[in-house]
Amino acid sequence: MSDYEPKVVCFSCKFSWGYLTDEDTLSSKMDNWVPLICTGKIDATHMLDAFRAGADGILILGCPEGDCHYQDGNYEAKKRVYLIRRLLESMGIDKGRIRIVLSADPEGESIPKLVAEMRRDLAKLGPAKKRPVKERKPKEATKGRGGT
Amino acid sequence: MAKPKIAICWLGSCGGCDEAVVDINEVLLRVADAVDIILWPVAMDFKYDSVRRMKNGEIALSVVNGHVRNSEQEEIAKLLREKSQLILAFGACACFGGTPGLANLSTKEDIFNWVYRDAPTVVNPNGNYPQAASRVNGKELTLPEFYDHVHALNDIIDVDYYLPGCPPPPYLVMYAVSAVLENKLPPKGSTLAPNRALCDSCKRNKSKPDRISIKEIKRIHEVEADPDVCFLAQGIICLGPATRDGCGEACMNINIPCRGCFGPVEGVEDSGAKFIPAMASILDAESDEDITRIVNQFVDPVGYLYRFSLPVSIFHNKRAEK
Repeated sequence: MSDYEPKVVCFSCKFSWGYLTDEDTLSSKMDNWVPLICTGKIDATHMLDAFRAGADGILILGCPEGDCHYQDGNYEAKKRVYLIRRLLESMGIDKGRIRIVLSADPEGESIPKLVAEMRRDLAKLGPAKKRPVKERKPKEATKGRGGT
Repeated sequence: MAKPKIAICWLGSCGGCDEAVVDINEVLLRVADAVDIILWPVAMDFKYDSVRRMKNGEIALSVVNGHVRNSEQEEIAKLLREKSQLILAFGACACFGGTPGLANLSTKEDIFNWVYRDAPTVVNPNGNYPQAASRVNGKELTLPEFYDHVHALNDIIDVDYYLPGCPPPPYLVMYAVSAVLENKLPPKGSTLAPNRALCDSCKRNKSKPDRISIKEIKRIHEVEADPDVCFLAQGIICLGPATRDGCGEACMNINIPCRGCFGPVEGVEDSGAKFIPAMASILDAESDEDITRIVNQFVDPVGYLYRFSLPVSIFHNKRAEK
């Protein structure tokens, strides 16, 4: 698995992360970066969807605690992440695949670093087991009990 | 004029859905007058062969309940699709895979090992496992092949209408039957149940405070729940906010929280995932330790959030990888 490159989808709030740097410059330093306004907007469906689309891990960068522009979006995001991690765990998926950091970096230099750090950690885990069992399309019906 | 032909069939089913058809009571006699029931394995003696001899599209409506997990179920589902103008996926198993869909959390191998080898009540010294084909005395014996996964009906065949529930309540069964008989069907792909969340019609809705906040998650058997107060406000997980209305609140009425057998409302793919933000918003905890403590009180989240819908969930939906 030496050529395995984990894919990380990073959602970050524009109010605290990288707003002083041009978005194109920053996004050239990493793949799958989704800057948005308020991490409270990230639904559980978005997170699971990212896994379905091939992500091995999700990194959410929200504003520092108590600093949400909309009062408590980052706090809501944090609670969601904890719940989803619990759900993933009960599905037999490592909860470390979703990470949330509540902090600030207006220049955004640490974003690619945090992504790289998470990718290193994910490389140890291996590819996300999107489904515990490998899917196989049912074969064309063989002759069942119904007779001919 | 010849009466329209109707088939009622079970695939991987417990029989509860067929029971729900019988539960429409004497209306069933009127239905039987208006239509020809040409197949109903649980109640009447018909042969699949006579269905095979029918022309394509000869059956007006096939009401199919149960999930698909083996080749026989798949074969019958495909046969009915070929011979029917309309297919109604009936009940939570046909619509979403149902409770048996939780088997998708285990591999086929694990299931076989447990059922035929490791379960304490099993005696199987020769290590015999069921085989799709085996030779005995020079003759070949066949059994349906057991698939790796539980599938919802629309994973296997094209489905025209959906009627969820475990089982669907009699009034919706009657509504569905009369819609077909009177040709007043909604657009193809519709679910024949109200398009709103259960909370909208729940009698307990008025009892909930403006902002619910809970510090503990409790399980229904651990507390004596107040029969008039919103379950979520009592700290008991209830899937009402993310579940389609129409069940007649059978569970609520006996003081049991919603478990989601009606599946998601229109436009929502994954009701379990949709419930998470709703639940997160009512957790009253700030520190990491506090959130972790509450979240860890949520026992078996996958079993609770996907009790009826694991095979169609984002993580376990096979169509996702096509």
